[in-house]
Amino acid sequence: MVRTLEPFEYYEPTSIKEASDLLQSFGEKARIIAGGVDLLARMRRREITPDALVSIKFIPGLDFVEEADGQLRIGALASIRSVELSKVVQEAYPLLYEAVHSIHSIQVKNTGTLIGNLCIATPASDIAAALIALDAKVKIAGPSGERTVPLEEFYLGVRKTVLQPGEFVTEVMVPRPSSEAKGAFLKLVRNATDIAKVNVAVLLTVKNGVCEDARVVLGSVAPVIFRAKKAEEALKGKSLDEKVAVEAAAAAAEEAKPITDIRSTAEYRREMSRVLTLRAIRRIMEG
Amino acid sequence: MKKREKTRIRLIVNGEPYEVEVEPHKTLLEVLRDDLNLTGTKGSCGVGECGTCTVLVDGKPMLSCLTLAITVRDRNITTIEGLAKDSKLHILQKIFLEKGAVQCGFCTPSMLLTAKALLDENPNPTRQEVIDYLSGVLCRCTGYVKIVDAVLAAAEEIRRRGSEYAEE
Repeated sequence: MVRTLEPFEYYEPTSIKEASDLLQSFGEKARIIAGGVDLLARMRRREITPDALVSIKFIPGLDFVEEADGQLRIGALASIRSVELSKVVQEAYPLLYEAVHSIHSIQVKNTGTLIGNLCIATPASDIAAALIALDAKVKIAGPSGERTVPLEEFYLGVRKTVLQPGEFVTEVMVPRPSSEAKGAFLKLVRNATDIAKVNVAVLLTVKNGVCEDARVVLGSVAPVIFRAKKAEEALKGKSLDEKVAVEAAAAAAEEAKPITDIRSTAEYRREMSRVLTLRAIRRIMEG
Repeated sequence: MKKREKTRIRLIVNGEPYEVEVEPHKTLLEVLRDDLNLTGTKGSCGVGECGTCTVLVDGKPMLSCLTLAITVRDRNITTIEGLAKDSKLHILQKIFLEKGAVQCGFCTPSMLLTAKALLDENPNPTRQEVIDYLSGVLCRCTGYVKIVDAVLAAAEEIRRRGSEYAEE
């Protein structure tokens, strides 16, 4: 049942330091809010009842999507929609664009932030799958200063991240893929606005028909989004052909640890992990 | 740092400034409906799945049920009450009526506002682009075909006439 929000203490820090200090002083009792799509929905469902919300919405300098020094930088207040509309994302980071574009609700994309989508740590995040394939890193601000963590190492479990009390993500950085790198993002969903049953992001660097590097990332089929390392090994150094693609897809399905829930059975998710991985590799081969 | 209690804020709704006292946990949807009596905006799922609470914030369709009112102070908010201009209907409204795109009417305000945002961005959308853009608003009557038809017809009429508003 959905109810109105319970009252909470509300703070509007105007600097990263101030926000971090507030979050640290409240510890588990406070939540950070930017777009609020996931947070307020969970509060309505009484899944969480924080004593305080710390809004970062009025901290200057966090709303940007830009490329500098060969990497894309997205700030904590950039909406999902602003990433989708970014020309540089569309042209130089098509894998990220595909994942963002696969989220249908324009309302969710305008209201929610891209970094919020990463930080809710859902294993179904389309954006996180694509960004792990692209080797993105997150910049984390906290009481003892800044640190940078590869997104691949950011997640510890369902809704669990490496963030310590007082820490929050201020930025995500994505290295520009080489001109030989080609990506594909695919997902299986019940309807346009539901979350993925399985999603797959593949980025292959292919030179003269040989796969020099491979990143195969699967979401929604394990407690955290993961790189299917065996599938990657099955691709690396090989001449890309149908046989190699079939082997890699089978390896990816073996590495999945899916569960059965209202959206799918574990068996179906595992089989679809294979099918989507195969389709993604085929799409890259077809150019 | 001082916490914010009940605060007097200014909301700019349909071009009109309103001074309202809000508690931080009040959503934009609640303030629009309960404080400003603008009940054209509907609430339904409350968790961002149905899109029925859509309003435009600085021209962009957003979920008013998942937006704290205090965070959109001084921003330009458009609700369905602000879509017509003086006594002239927006062409989207006129064509929704003509084409039977309004059934029970519950999703209509959100469909109209979302369609307006689409046409502001892209005056000549394809059928698929209309479907994609409107996919975040659920029609309980499942009457999507007429809604999509109406948006495409309105787009054409707006392009042809060079005005968003119907004759009186």
